[in-house]
Amino acid sequence: MSNKKSPLLNVKGVLAGGKQNMVIILAAVALFFVFYLINPSFASDLNLNNMAKSFVPYAILALGVTFVIATGGIDLSIGTVCIGSAVLAGAICRTGVALEDGILWLTIPIIVLTGTVFGLINGLLVAKCKLAPFIATLGTMLVSRGLTSVVAEAVRETSSAVKYPTVGWFQDIFVKYNGFPVGLLWVLALTVICMVVMYKTKIGRYILAIGSNEEAARLSGIDTDKYKIIAYVIGGTFAGLAALFYTAANPSLTIAGGNGMELDAIAGVYIGGTSTTGGAASIMGTILGSLILVIIRNGLNLALSGGSIVSATNITYAVTGVIVVGAVMLDILKKKNAAKVKIPPTAEKKAEASKS
Amino acid sequence: MGETILTMQGIQKYFSGVHALKGVNFDLRAGEVHALMGENGAGKSTLIKVLCGIHKKDGGSITYFGEDVQFGNIAESQAAGISVIHQELNMMNHLTVAQNMFIGREFKRGVLIDDRKMEEEAQKLFDRIGVRIDPGVKLGELTVGKQQMVEIAKAVSRDCKLLVLDEPTAALTQPEVEELFKIMNDLRDKGIGMIYISHRMDEINRISDRVTVMRDGEYVGTVNTAEVTKDDIVKMMVGRVIMGEQKQKSAVAEDAPVVLEVKHLNAGREVRDVSFHLRRGEILGFAGLMGAGRTEVVRALYGADPKQSGEIWLSGKKVKIKTPAQAVEHGICYLSEDRKRYGLMLMKSVTENTVIASVDDFISAGLINDSKMKEASAEFNEKLRTKTPSMEQLLKNLSGGNQQKVIVARWLMKNSDIFIFDEPTRGIDVGAKSEIYRLMEDLAAQGKSVIMISSELAEILRMSDRILVMCEGRKTGELDISEATQENIMQLATMREEN
Repeated sequence: MSNKKSPLLNVKGVLAGGKQNMVIILAAVALFFVFYLINPSFASDLNLNNMAKSFVPYAILALGVTFVIATGGIDLSIGTVCIGSAVLAGAICRTGVALEDGILWLTIPIIVLTGTVFGLINGLLVAKCKLAPFIATLGTMLVSRGLTSVVAEAVRETSSAVKYPTVGWFQDIFVKYNGFPVGLLWVLALTVICMVVMYKTKIGRYILAIGSNEEAARLSGIDTDKYKIIAYVIGGTFAGLAALFYTAANPSLTIAGGNGMELDAIAGVYIGGTSTTGGAASIMGTILGSLILVIIRNGLNLALSGGSIVSATNITYAVTGVIVVGAVMLDILKKKNAAKVKIPPTAEKKAEASKS
Repeated sequence: MGETILTMQGIQKYFSGVHALKGVNFDLRAGEVHALMGENGAGKSTLIKVLCGIHKKDGGSITYFGEDVQFGNIAESQAAGISVIHQELNMMNHLTVAQNMFIGREFKRGVLIDDRKMEEEAQKLFDRIGVRIDPGVKLGELTVGKQQMVEIAKAVSRDCKLLVLDEPTAALTQPEVEELFKIMNDLRDKGIGMIYISHRMDEINRISDRVTVMRDGEYVGTVNTAEVTKDDIVKMMVGRVIMGEQKQKSAVAEDAPVVLEVKHLNAGREVRDVSFHLRRGEILGFAGLMGAGRTEVVRALYGADPKQSGEIWLSGKKVKIKTPAQAVEHGICYLSEDRKRYGLMLMKSVTENTVIASVDDFISAGLINDSKMKEASAEFNEKLRTKTPSMEQLLKNLSGGNQQKVIVARWLMKNSDIFIFDEPTRGIDVGAKSEIYRLMEDLAAQGKSVIMISSELAEILRMSDRILVMCEGRKTGELDISEATQENIMQLATMREEN
């Protein structure tokens, strides 16, 4: 194998999704131009920066949940875990209240660890308690939303709305450094890490094996429970990481901000071509899927702004829904074609033929 | 006994190249219980499916109440008065008994369903056939035996003239069997013809009027039950012609060490106090009828299912095996009967399927070396002569025999010592079968040990050095190959515990 030149791009998982990736890239470019023609301010520096800001947390959420979906599972809790962990950390560290950014640094480990803990809980519920992933993570979704805001209310002795500083080193690291959208670099780095983990390590290999046929993987001697838990821990930890970028970009937080975030992230994963039943995952596809969703969200928003009677947000929901359904239908069609096996003429038919 | 209601003559059936029914004859009279017997795979179920319209016959004729028929589906055969009671019941546990009985043809008052009327009708029916069940309770609250009676009552309520009972007693307790027989006798008096499929010889003797035996899709013969002994029937079932190449004597050296010993294994409902040992280079055959608990024994041994009690000793050392991962660490591997569900990742490549148990061996500095994996996979699959266009080929595109080889390659790569094959040639065509046999012989010759579960007696006799026979979760005997015959294996396989 000639994987000397570029070991990562030569990996099967990337190649397998190659065609779909090309389609997404072309669609993204086309949409970009359409939105630009409708409203030239779409391509303005300001708007591009806005798009980068909103792209980063969704992309990171989507990267993490790709591992969960690759096992054949789902994680509905990542959205509320993401915002919940930021609300919790903000309340505990009293950001924006008395100390300003005094112990702002402490929020970073608290946010990430909260994500990891919820991921671990999801993993244990699914792997050890054998709960259906949908139910288990629906539970943690509600629990994380409720619990983090209750703690925040108790700590702050008022509402759970939390303020982070709007400018400072937090933004320099996670959003914009000297005008440069550093968040994109983080996404790039995390994408490379995810590709290595998914395609070049035991963790990824076993996660894909579990998604392909969990029982076969178990009978092959794989500790399937352990690797399922790892997948959910990755999903939760990435929800925590996403919270850092979200918070830096949107310093005024309420818990409600996390509602529905998980669905946008998951939609990106499906559009990117990761199989809904697991076993095949495309990290590159996840990034591209998230990108196209951001373009649509932002583009529609601009196109419909200024005197339009329809709400851009609602149109965005509808369009996103159609795209997700289309992408998953594509996945089903792909599988159907792959499952077609040529059957040689049966003896039955031969017998009939000889009769006549 | 009354007039002949059903005559099946020279029935032929092919399944994509497999000749499943080779000219089978069968007839049934009104008010008769006619037992249909044969080993697993003899074609009994296929014959029934042809009768009730699930499969189309490829030759022969079916005459039902004097008319030439070919039912297109179950609905048609049901409308004509043919009902099949399956071993596995397909009923809705959350509905009441009466609701289940009248599903699809509910009594109504206006647009509303009249539950009271349905319960009354059900009660009348139960009284008529002498069943004591409350039609108002949820079906799920009844025992399997009672549920079966509901199903029989349902058949009767549809004005059934021909009732097929497919292994009805498999899940019943002795008193339930008695009750079932009482009902069957009542139905017989009412002139209903019954086809009774069962492996249980003593039941056949008690309940049936005639017995028809099938073997390998062929019609062997029909006899009056009263005129034959149990041994006669067994002989008909296994046939006198024995596959040419039965192993004459064990190929295992006298002093070959014992590599595996299982002591007093109990697991689930299916495995009761099973003990056995396995020696180096030995092929140990597990014989028995379907549901005898053979698969359950090896799955418990392998850690795939929990054990209640029992010890496992490997080369003289007691070990704990609670998960398949531990079994694999101890050099045991299991090749399931249902490869698609329990063995293969169909949408993954030959390489990925081959290396999945040995991923650790291809990691350096935390990263997987894919090219080394591919080389190793190619090496092992070439050794086994797996036919595949490339190592990248998805496994679903390989034939059954080659899929099996990929799984063997997986475990050879892992350097396993004890190979457990569960029905290794199921779904594999005849040509590839002998290759799988050679493969197992090679393994044994290399000093590996093999456990082979098989429901084909000819296969057991050809491959095994020693044969362990099970019936209803118990080990009923152990035979050296030199003393084993189809007949004495069958005797042990049907040796039920006295109740």
